Amino acid sequence: MALRIARHAGVPGPGEIASTVIVALAFAIPSFSDSPLVYSMANQILIAIMAAFSVYIMLRMDLMTFAVPAFMALGGYAFAIAALRGGITDTIVLGALSFAVPALVALPLGVLILRLRGVYFVLVTFVLTQILDLLLFETPGLTGGANGLVGMPATTLFGLTLGDNRGVLFVAAGLTLTATLITAGLTSYFRQHFAAIEENEVLAQSLGLVTWRYKVLGFVVAAGVAGMAGFALVNMLLTAHPTSFSPISSVNYIGYAIIGGRGSMLGPIIGSSFLVWATNMFSIQGEYSQGLFGVLIIIVVMLAKGGIVGTVASLLRRFAGGRRDASGVPPQSTADQASTSQ
Amino acid sequence: MTGDVSAVASHASEGELRVDKISMRFGGLKVFEDISLRLYPRDILGMIGPNGAGKTTLINVICGKLAPAAGHVFLGGHDVSGKSTHTLSRMGLVRSFQQTNTFRTATVRENLSRAIRFSTGSAESWRRVDDLLGRFDLSHRLDEQSDKLPYGLQKMLGLLLAYATTPKVLLLDEPAAGLEGRERSRVDDFVHHAQQNLGCSILIVEHDMDLIRRLCPRIMVLDAGRLLAEGPPGEVLSRRDVIDAYVGAIDDEDE
Repeated sequence: MALRIARHAGVPGPGEIASTVIVALAFAIPSFSDSPLVYSMANQILIAIMAAFSVYIMLRMDLMTFAVPAFMALGGYAFAIAALRGGITDTIVLGALSFAVPALVALPLGVLILRLRGVYFVLVTFVLTQILDLLLFETPGLTGGANGLVGMPATTLFGLTLGDNRGVLFVAAGLTLTATLITAGLTSYFRQHFAAIEENEVLAQSLGLVTWRYKVLGFVVAAGVAGMAGFALVNMLLTAHPTSFSPISSVNYIGYAIIGGRGSMLGPIIGSSFLVWATNMFSIQGEYSQGLFGVLIIIVVMLAKGGIVGTVASLLRRFAGGRRDASGVPPQSTADQASTSQ
Repeated sequence: MTGDVSAVASHASEGELRVDKISMRFGGLKVFEDISLRLYPRDILGMIGPNGAGKTTLINVICGKLAPAAGHVFLGGHDVSGKSTHTLSRMGLVRSFQQTNTFRTATVRENLSRAIRFSTGSAESWRRVDDLLGRFDLSHRLDEQSDKLPYGLQKMLGLLLAYATTPKVLLLDEPAAGLEGRERSRVDDFVHHAQQNLGCSILIVEHDMDLIRRLCPRIMVLDAGRLLAEGPPGEVLSRRDVIDAYVGAIDDEDE
């Protein structure tokens, strides 16, 4: 009788709904400002959010991935090649392609490497990114090698050309909203599966959960979401170039997700927004920002496991109810409980 | 309990477990060798033996967590050797764990919800679990975080998670270990419930001799990786070699 309530375990929680609303607000930016600086910053943040979602999806299963730049590159180059060689300009088709190509590459790869345990998986994703980086340089016939690919025609939507600043931001916002819905859908529908894998894989298996299947599913979707980020990045820069997808940039995306907070989708959004803004603000480009992110990740992991969002949430709880000891709240519990107790 | 059941795959053999001459070694170390056992439908078999005899490893091998070095496992007449834990679990072979083992930060309700969802259970599964929740004093704790429960209740929740998957064969790894005397009768309750309501056959690895005597019409003694004796508990436990091998060794371990 009282037990039935747990049926709603697959429904999006407040974190997912708030994330969707926040990302949708990006469409409103052109009505407040037409400064190229604001547009550029908004573009960078939106791209960072998608890349951080890719990390976030894997972190739901306690898997750390360094493969985000590799899948971004696959998505970005898929767009560039389809536009240059195939003459495709339709944003929806290109968006679907930028999701599908990395996802299809991730499928057999995931089946192979997700049987590896935690640390080996991390290493393989790192090596994967290095290999793809090398391939981009070594296959000039397809990728333009060190020159990259330039001269893609402007993307279109229902006959509308999206070539100007406003159009490019519109494409990034549309891609990010789609990526948000995909991430929210996946992580809330399979919340129980992912949480079980994160917390106690042995028990999950012995209760009948085919854990590798969900890991592969997460990996495939994470790859697709990263690919959409790659599309938005190439579309913003007007060039597909290997340096945009350097293996070391994976640290940034991991940083956005962990510093923002891995316990809720709001984490990658807040983390990306804050850190991209801060990086621009203090002009700390290049290696310095990675160094800074590294230090911040260490601080978060040691002192505030929930990241920005988790820490704020536990502070709010302490002020609001004061009934729970907010000291050692595990990162994932905040979001889980908030949504499953509904 | 029942007579000989033919190994033909059918409902008649559902819940039948046959372990045929399995051996296990880690590197050069032999854990056990040539172990055979048989569990008939609705059967309850006790397994005792000193620490290090290989009992938990045997459960790990039967449930698919470890691959045996040799030998076969048959479930309901099918050869299931080498199948993975989740496959076996879905075929109805489910184990419980010696230590408390739950999804720690999730509530009791969420734990059960996962067990039922992962085993593709239904509303019917909830109803069945509901019955046992009351008996184990967990009905009022559904919204508590599972690792905040007292130790004994965490162990009972572990058993309930296995029960919620509607198993046909249960492997219980020391279900009473760490429980207070008063709490141990809950294990009896659980075992009877699983046998009667689910028609489970049950293998119980345990150190508590009273519990074994109460529950198991038949027991096996495992010592240093080999089967020392098998039969009704009264008979087996009074054998000289069993007492020498086992009873002396657990003096300092149990209670």
